[in-house]
Amino acid sequence: MTEQKTLATLTLILRDLLGDNNIDLTMQTTRDDVPGWDSFTYVNFIVAVEAEFRVKFRIADVESFSDAGAIVAAIAAGRPR
Amino acid sequence: MLFNSYIFIFAFLPPVLAVFYVLGARSREAALSWLIAASLLFYAWWRPLNILLIAPSILINYGIACYLKRIGHSNPAHARVVLIGGVVFNLCFLGYFKYIAFGEQALNDIFDAGLPLTQVILPLGISFITFQKIAFLVDVHAGRIERFTFREYALFVLFFPQIIAGPIVHYREMMPQFKVASCRFDAEDVSVGISLFFFGLAKKSILADPIGRVIGPLYDHAASGVPQSLADAWIAALGFTLQIYFDFSGYCDMALGIARLFGIKLPVNFNSPLKARSVIDFWARWHITLTRFLTAYIYMPMTLYLMRRRAANGQPARRTRDAKVATFLGLLAVPTILTMLVSGLWHGAGYTFILWGLLHGLLLCVNHAWRLIRPRIWPDTASYNRLAAPAAFMLTFLSVVFAMVLFRSPTVAGAAMLWKGMIGVYGAAMPRAILSHLGPIGGLLVQLGVQPAWTSGTMFVGAAARIGVLLFIALALPNTLELLALYQPALGVKPAGAPGRLLRFVAWKPTGTWAVSLACVALAGILSLGELHEFLYWRF
Repeated sequence: MTEQKTLATLTLILRDLLGDNNIDLTMQTTRDDVPGWDSFTYVNFIVAVEAEFRVKFRIADVESFSDAGAIVAAIAAGRPR
Repeated sequence: MLFNSYIFIFAFLPPVLAVFYVLGARSREAALSWLIAASLLFYAWWRPLNILLIAPSILINYGIACYLKRIGHSNPAHARVVLIGGVVFNLCFLGYFKYIAFGEQALNDIFDAGLPLTQVILPLGISFITFQKIAFLVDVHAGRIERFTFREYALFVLFFPQIIAGPIVHYREMMPQFKVASCRFDAEDVSVGISLFFFGLAKKSILADPIGRVIGPLYDHAASGVPQSLADAWIAALGFTLQIYFDFSGYCDMALGIARLFGIKLPVNFNSPLKARSVIDFWARWHITLTRFLTAYIYMPMTLYLMRRRAANGQPARRTRDAKVATFLGLLAVPTILTMLVSGLWHGAGYTFILWGLLHGLLLCVNHAWRLIRPRIWPDTASYNRLAAPAAFMLTFLSVVFAMVLFRSPTVAGAAMLWKGMIGVYGAAMPRAILSHLGPIGGLLVQLGVQPAWTSGTMFVGAAARIGVLLFIALALPNTLELLALYQPALGVKPAGAPGRLLRFVAWKPTGTWAVSLACVALAGILSLGELHEFLYWRF
């Protein structure tokens, strides 16, 4: 899966969780850029991403993803469950 | 050594800086080693024993980090056990020094155990240092720190502008700066650093300390069972909120400024929290690096574990706003309240701090619940943000002020007495002199139930006026980060896209006008240093 396809899937997951179809993630998008993307929704999002891509992130990585691009990279390098 | 002491300002900082620049012109390594030595002196100044108390923890953490680094990739399971062991060690270290006496007191209170209370010397800044070292171990375990030497580690742990009361920094945001720091005199760094330092000093000595002297007796009276009238209770609550606001804001500015003199930018730790429009927003502005730590290392792991368990049971992630009550309570409320309980305990070993943390936990839950419910009640977010903003601000402000009473009060009973006073249980009273000066309005107030009191009218007016001025500064004026935004006063601070008219007019620039203004601020700050008042956050 290309980075852009992964990013598009992440966008769909976040849109669904926040109920906001105006969200468009880029590789540089951070949590501060998306209204309502608080810590709770972030963890909810991570668990949904893990289920979608069948990967499991390390807790230390979850805490430190700086932007959507970092999540895309972690999925690309992710270890299958 | 206190930042706001003559010895620090005149005898410690100037020679340390001068030697740092001189050494830095010849050898960066020598300058950084000098910085470590100066940091040790700074830390040991108040009580040399502090070094002996904290040194074992620093050395053991270094050993654990080296071991983690060595085994990290070859044996992940073992590395995980070592990490957990390291975290437990740090928590036990903190627990022994900070909580043993409170634990014994609690057992005596609950079970009448009759335990003698252990007398322990609390190492300075232990709460901050411990959290910082835990974050360091986690970073090493996660492979985010490729290599480190003992000197780099010592510099990270001991760097004196932030060792005692934060900000709680990450190795990964500090060490890249130390690696490229010129360690030489830089006019921009020095002028920004000095400006931040004296802004902070003025906040501490001119704004925070005087109001602290006014409200201290009110808390002591309440704790000893003396009821406080409506006005006095509100002076106590508002006064302390503003005291700790300017005290901590001043400390954070001074820490930013001192670090900048050495060419280092610390992360933002305080960003006009009283302007917040929600409690969630408040915690994103107040003690930002503590919130960051608690969110990353307590809230997120807890929530992640619960959500993964739920997903493993076949319950997929769902829209946040569609969360059912049980989901809300289990996945959001419990981790939030527990995290804030830890926050309360971190601030102090006492019932008042525990209750303060729990109260903020509950406020955050109410705030989260409202975020979920609000779109159903008021779907138009734009109009909600526009029309409800004043009410949201007021509610947040009152909640914070109400909770702050617990933070300052020596006892829970004293806090309860002040809360009762704030809602008028003990009636309203005003100094007799003021009522008589108010003429017919004074008469009306008496008819409405305001009791004339034999207290000082001058003190009453002075306290009210001071609170008014402090509120204006906190709520209406741009903060230091905004004033200096063009010169990146802290890590990650960028100028706002389109600064307002006031900010454009008053933005800090290296001009003669600002130099004279800052000289006046510095002079006023230094002349206000009378008896030493330690920073409130230095107790943690």
